Amino acid sequence: MLDTSRVQKELAEGNRDTETSGVSIALHDGADLTHLSGTITGPVGTPYEGGVFVIDIRLPSGYPFEPPKMQFVTRVWHPNISSQNGAICLDILKDQWSPALTLKTALLSLQALLSAPAPDDPQDAVVAQQYLRDYQKFVGTARHWTETFAKSASVGMDEKVKKLVEMGFPEDAVRAVLEATKGDENMALEKLCSG
Amino acid sequence: MANQAEGSPRKRKAIDGEIGMEASVTHTKQAAVAAEEALTGLNPKDGAGAGASSCWEVLPEEFEWSCYRDDDTLHQQAAIREEAIKIPYLGDREPLSALATEFELGSPILKEKIRLLGEQYVGLRRTRGDGNCFYRSFMFAYLEHILETQDTAEVERIVKNVEQCKQTLQSLGYTEFTYEDFFGIFMEQLESVLQGKETSISMEELLSRSRDQLVSDYVVMFFRFVTSAEIRKRADFFEPFIAGLTNTSVDQFCKSSVEPMGEECDHVHIIALSDALGVAIRVVYLDRSSCEKGPLTVNHHDFIPTAAAESSTAAVISTKCGEPFITLLYRPGHYDILYRR
Repeated sequence: MLDTSRVQKELAEGNRDTETSGVSIALHDGADLTHLSGTITGPVGTPYEGGVFVIDIRLPSGYPFEPPKMQFVTRVWHPNISSQNGAICLDILKDQWSPALTLKTALLSLQALLSAPAPDDPQDAVVAQQYLRDYQKFVGTARHWTETFAKSASVGMDEKVKKLVEMGFPEDAVRAVLEATKGDENMALEKLCSG
Repeated sequence: MANQAEGSPRKRKAIDGEIGMEASVTHTKQAAVAAEEALTGLNPKDGAGAGASSCWEVLPEEFEWSCYRDDDTLHQQAAIREEAIKIPYLGDREPLSALATEFELGSPILKEKIRLLGEQYVGLRRTRGDGNCFYRSFMFAYLEHILETQDTAEVERIVKNVEQCKQTLQSLGYTEFTYEDFFGIFMEQLESVLQGKETSISMEELLSRSRDQLVSDYVVMFFRFVTSAEIRKRADFFEPFIAGLTNTSVDQFCKSSVEPMGEECDHVHIIALSDALGVAIRVVYLDRSSCEKGPLTVNHHDFIPTAAAESSTAAVISTKCGEPFITLLYRPGHYDILYRR
């Protein structure tokens, strides 16, 4: 049985100082307390700076004894996060979890992970290899991914693409135009219609 | 000492050569422990709850061997976990002769030590080897003692210490909702073992509650909070012990070896818990150590709460006839409860 009163408190706690912490937590679809959505801002001075990263959070019935299941929804180039599916390699989300931790502290740990990658203990071996062998290239790729997937304009990009595709435009064109308009749906629609 | 005997040292980082060495050390240790087990027929080791987590997606070819080792470790840990689950959180009280039967084919030293143990102790109660056995043994032994003695003065005393621990956590900056429920459930158990109230419970009920995952794990976590708070509060005192044990900071130690469930208890933890709650604990060691000269003896260590650990309020040490009323039996990597004659 999930401790629902604790989850309510966690939601309040998680959003208490969003401005300074750069962390926020919300219900994913408004009703289900086991499915939440978190965001963290990319740490300053890292290739993730300026990005907002969305994290899918699912709470198992054994929470807070069992760790929350967290996964990046926003695509990110980082040795400890899968570039394919956003899976995270972080000890506190596995055997080092403790009921003394909270969703907020877990999200703050993810933020810290963005600042301090651990390429010796990778989730994504390809990214880790690049990090170790060609650091400059790694920084470039990570920054590019941040620009492409994590900037506010690109948040919700997939939904925007879906909407325009449903209107009958080809997906390739939609993506290209949305990128050109930095995610502005109306401008994109105008371009698509006139193009 | 418990740490050295640990059956499953965590091994998460194994990708470059240097850390690969750590992997082989891990295996040597496990082999040693396995050999020890085979020789003595000891229960599965604690620490089964402390699972290593491997999370590679793609492994470069040259590291394949280390992947195999990690898998190996995981398999072994899964086997230990399976074995552990067969034992309830807390078993029924058994006569000490059960221990003798278990070691019938064991080493002569162990058999002699069990005989000696029989002079002072009559029974034991086994606990599940899931890394929480110390806390669970302590929980049951303490509550059972209160239920039997109805020592209200002791309850009043410990309640003050519990309150103190809560304040420590608060001042350390812990978020209240992370610990309040755990404290609440412990206080509930403590009040219910005192008889004469509507909520009072019998010994059977205490045992069944202690076997109930919700109650049992909440109380275990309560003790973990108390232990962590005490270590952090007296960081200067504990720091050298921790550095010697794990080579990590006090903060890191608390986060990785105290607060997560399933993390085993070492001397440091016992000192902290005993000091924080002001409860003395005797640990009797059953291992194959012996002296060359002189008769064989069973070693024990009494953890007596130090006055230094207490605040200025009068420190009352809870002992019976100068001896701790809680006695635990330690076999490398595992704690059970012992009953005195």
